[in-house]
Amino acid sequence: MDWTPAPRRPTAIRRQQNLALLSAVVSGGVVAGGLILLLLARVNPDTAAGLRRTTADLVAPTWAVLRAPVDGLAALAEGIGDYFGAIDRARHLETELDTANARLRAARAGMEELRRLKALMRVRSPQREVVATARIAAATTGTVVRTAMLAVGTSDGVGEAMPVIGAEGLIGRTTEVGRNAARVLLITDPLSRVPVIVERTGQVGLAAGRNQPTLQLIDLSGATIPLVTGDRVVTSGDGGVYPPGVPVATVVDARAAAPVLRPAARLLGAGFVTVETAWLPVPATEPQGPVFDAPVPVEARRRGAPTPRLRDADAPPISNGTGG
Amino acid sequence: MIAPPPPPALLMTPQERRRWLLSTWRYAVPMLVSLLLLLLMVMPVPLSVPAMPQLGLMAVLAWALLQPSLMPPWLAFCIGGFADLLFGLPLGVNATAFALITGLMRLMAPLFGRSGLMVDWLMLCLLLLLFAGLVGPLMALAGRPVPLLPLLLQWLTSILSWPLVARFCAAIQRRLAASAPSWRAG
Repeated sequence: MDWTPAPRRPTAIRRQQNLALLSAVVSGGVVAGGLILLLLARVNPDTAAGLRRTTADLVAPTWAVLRAPVDGLAALAEGIGDYFGAIDRARHLETELDTANARLRAARAGMEELRRLKALMRVRSPQREVVATARIAAATTGTVVRTAMLAVGTSDGVGEAMPVIGAEGLIGRTTEVGRNAARVLLITDPLSRVPVIVERTGQVGLAAGRNQPTLQLIDLSGATIPLVTGDRVVTSGDGGVYPPGVPVATVVDARAAAPVLRPAARLLGAGFVTVETAWLPVPATEPQGPVFDAPVPVEARRRGAPTPRLRDADAPPISNGTGG
Repeated sequence: MIAPPPPPALLMTPQERRRWLLSTWRYAVPMLVSLLLLLLMVMPVPLSVPAMPQLGLMAVLAWALLQPSLMPPWLAFCIGGFADLLFGLPLGVNATAFALITGLMRLMAPLFGRSGLMVDWLMLCLLLLLFAGLVGPLMALAGRPVPLLPLLLQWLTSILSWPLVARFCAAIQRRLAASAPSWRAG
């Protein structure tokens, strides 16, 4: 298979042997280095986050440009497909519109009542705010993760942990954001957990991805009403990232131990997606109040060890409970 | 032979040296082709199943077979590292797996090209299966265990697309070999 001819001069043979030995040593070294990198990633998952951001910055705009002709072809094919069966579709839509209008009239009264009740109770609800609208520029459709890239980044106001919503439903959330690119964790990724509520029964749970086309509904709690196929699942607004009421999925298999859901949106379809601000501000994870230099066990304190010093000089002195 | 080894530098005429410098890009072709196929893997295909074949790994393996000296395991490690950055994986998963599989390919290379294409394909299927089996534990080592079923699906699409990738790389090799410069004038 190898087309390179074997060397014939003794010096060339020796040189090739030396190079082969060096290459083997370096290869063993890099494999060991790779394992060390993995251990580093285990201890600190943010290792190389900056490098990943830079790569996304470089790749996402490229694909955003390259995909334009593909999109054009897809739109053309869709247009041809639309041409056939347009009349049937129009009739179907008209009947659907009639029923929807009837339902809307009934709902309008309810909406007004709800608005008045909310005003009466002084309910304050945050507003949804769209930060950016973009197409999915690139996506990993084959590896162990399910992420997509958008060609918008910090220069457009996009930050980390922002919900990404498509026309038909939830797509995912942003994880790593560079200047011109953002990585989106799709809801089908094994790491993704979306707090959801079942519309019909009011049970809350988590829609968990598993790197398959479907999701799983786990940690279901609430009244024990059996789910049926076709139940709609929407975001509940818990956790603060996703705004409530966004369609996530429908139940396709209610009998499994963990009900199986089908996502409402085509995750990598050609449509546009919007990035919104996080529904509620992410709570501060920095510890509040005084911070001690090092914890001193109660037993040691009983024997006369000095009390731990405060790291923050401005913090108010607290009375340490000697005697436990 | 897509990039012939140069004559000793001191014996080169300036003209030969210029030609040699202008043709050094040929040494990078295997790496560039592998990177290109990696970029192709993040093409936004509206597929709901994780079915994109491992084009990058297969390109690396094809070059390890065709031009072992231009695709050593440490270079496969670098390409795998780029794949990690591209796919948003913990740095080192694909890198380690690429390097190990390429090293294995190097050891198995004498077996290839002797017993017909089907046997070659079968051996490659085993290598790719080993890769799929390797990624799971490596991800677990990085603290992010993954389900195994999608990896097997990707394995299936990969073995189906191997002939395409192998032909693509072989065509590039043929084209480069036909235009490889020779240093000695006349």
